[in-house]
Amino acid sequence: MLIEDAAYGNRWRRVSPAAKAVFALAGLAAAFAAATPRAGLGVSLALVAATVFGARVPAGRYLRVAAPALFFLALSGLSLVFSLQPDGVGGGLAFRATAAGLESFATVGSRSLGALAAMLFLVLTTPLLDIMGLLRRCRTPEVLLEIMVLCYRSLFVFAAAVQDTRTAQAARLGYGSPRLALRSLGQLVANLTLQVWQRAQTLHGAALARNNDGPLRFLPASFAHGRRDVAAAAAAGVALIALARGMA
Amino acid sequence: MIRPVASPEPLLELAGVSYAYADGSVGLAGCSLAIGRGSRNALIGANGSGKTTLFQHANGLLRPQAGQVSYGGQAVDYGRAGLRRLRSRVGMVFQNPDHQLFSASVREDVSFGPLNLGLSDAVVRRRVDAALEAVGMAAAADKAVHHLSFGQKKRVCIAGVLAMEPELLVLDEPMAGLDHGMQDELLAILDGLHGRGITLLLATHDIDFAYGWADAIHLMAAGRCVASLAAADLPAQGERLAAVGLPLPAVVAIHRVLAAKGLVPHQPPRSASELLAGLEIHLSPKETPCLVA
Repeated sequence: MLIEDAAYGNRWRRVSPAAKAVFALAGLAAAFAAATPRAGLGVSLALVAATVFGARVPAGRYLRVAAPALFFLALSGLSLVFSLQPDGVGGGLAFRATAAGLESFATVGSRSLGALAAMLFLVLTTPLLDIMGLLRRCRTPEVLLEIMVLCYRSLFVFAAAVQDTRTAQAARLGYGSPRLALRSLGQLVANLTLQVWQRAQTLHGAALARNNDGPLRFLPASFAHGRRDVAAAAAAGVALIALARGMA
Repeated sequence: MIRPVASPEPLLELAGVSYAYADGSVGLAGCSLAIGRGSRNALIGANGSGKTTLFQHANGLLRPQAGQVSYGGQAVDYGRAGLRRLRSRVGMVFQNPDHQLFSASVREDVSFGPLNLGLSDAVVRRRVDAALEAVGMAAAADKAVHHLSFGQKKRVCIAGVLAMEPELLVLDEPMAGLDHGMQDELLAILDGLHGRGITLLLATHDIDFAYGWADAIHLMAAGRCVASLAAADLPAQGERLAAVGLPLPAVVAIHRVLAAKGLVPHQPPRSASELLAGLEIHLSPKETPCLVA
């Protein structure tokens, strides 16, 4: 919901999703073009600034969304920096930081930060619905889009179903002990499976009731100033790539 | 003597329709019912009396195992083209909005039905805007469905069906889960739709609401429509109502007591506000003629 709230509440909500996608793609390209850690960090900072100061996504929310990815980045950094080497005393092995490892982490880490910032820019400023609309305009196969739409909608429907079932179980001491919790969790999963089946049947009926005969058709969203926004995003993207190359 | 509902031109008609589900439970058992064009109809019955099954027959989601469903005077054709015709004329609003809304955005979901009719994007866009306007949800057009309240989701469900411009709108317990304010808002929307000539059929458990709102009330029990009554005749049908476990509308019971004491006119009111108006007229001080010296 953090991402959802930011995507719907930022200043660039009504900017064309194509423009935001162009800028995010340029951000990815710039991150890969950054040959030095300094350039990678420069690209990352520019993207974070665009998200936090440009689109006005609150910095605290940004950090909370980025935290899991940063944690995994740090974890992978450890495996790059430290390697198993002979300890030189008794013929044993020991973990040691190496200069090559540090250099490699600095380069890969800064590029990854840039790529992460580019992706966060897109998802924190653009609701998934707009991204799906954009994918539809880019001629993505309908079946993939339909699966995306249904999964996205189902995510919230089932989140509510899980919450309701869990509350009902907790109200009857279903999570009173580890043994009971395990049992309740099993029942919840089993119940949810049944609900998935029933819900699929009902939604199929609802689609038929509105004259559906196969493919799911939806009206694409329209954005004013689409061309202008894309041109501006492309120019900003080129500047970002130039920054990455210039700082190398 | 029950006065049958005046319906010079039945729009939807069920004649001896029976339907049993795969698990053996009976949905409808020889159900006969007629819905007059342009009328407001309330279907009342206990849980399991067959209301939802009847609605699914109205929209062609279920096909009768016996009997016949007619629309506009013609038996429903269950071929692809026939069902397409029927579903473009009969719009169905499900009881639980989460069972009906499957697109993630309001505008997308409302556009789903009209796009299925093969209309152009420009026409669909116009219909979507008009439907959202009619249910007071124009401002939420670009919102995600999961960001809406329960009542707002219900309105979007209605908009999704309205955008198909149906002649008959079937609503399965539309007031369920709505607070009083939302019920009033929904009622205003339904009155607006009726004013536009749309025939309305809704299921409800609320006899007070049905008496105040509907032109015709259909009583359901054990898969059959046991009586179709003009709502104005309901005060005289206490026994019929009791037979299906329903009380008389509260306003009728109160009116009887007050009328017996001569406090209100004998004509039964349809709502508490009508009753109060009658009482106020009776209790207000009589005007005295002004004597001019």
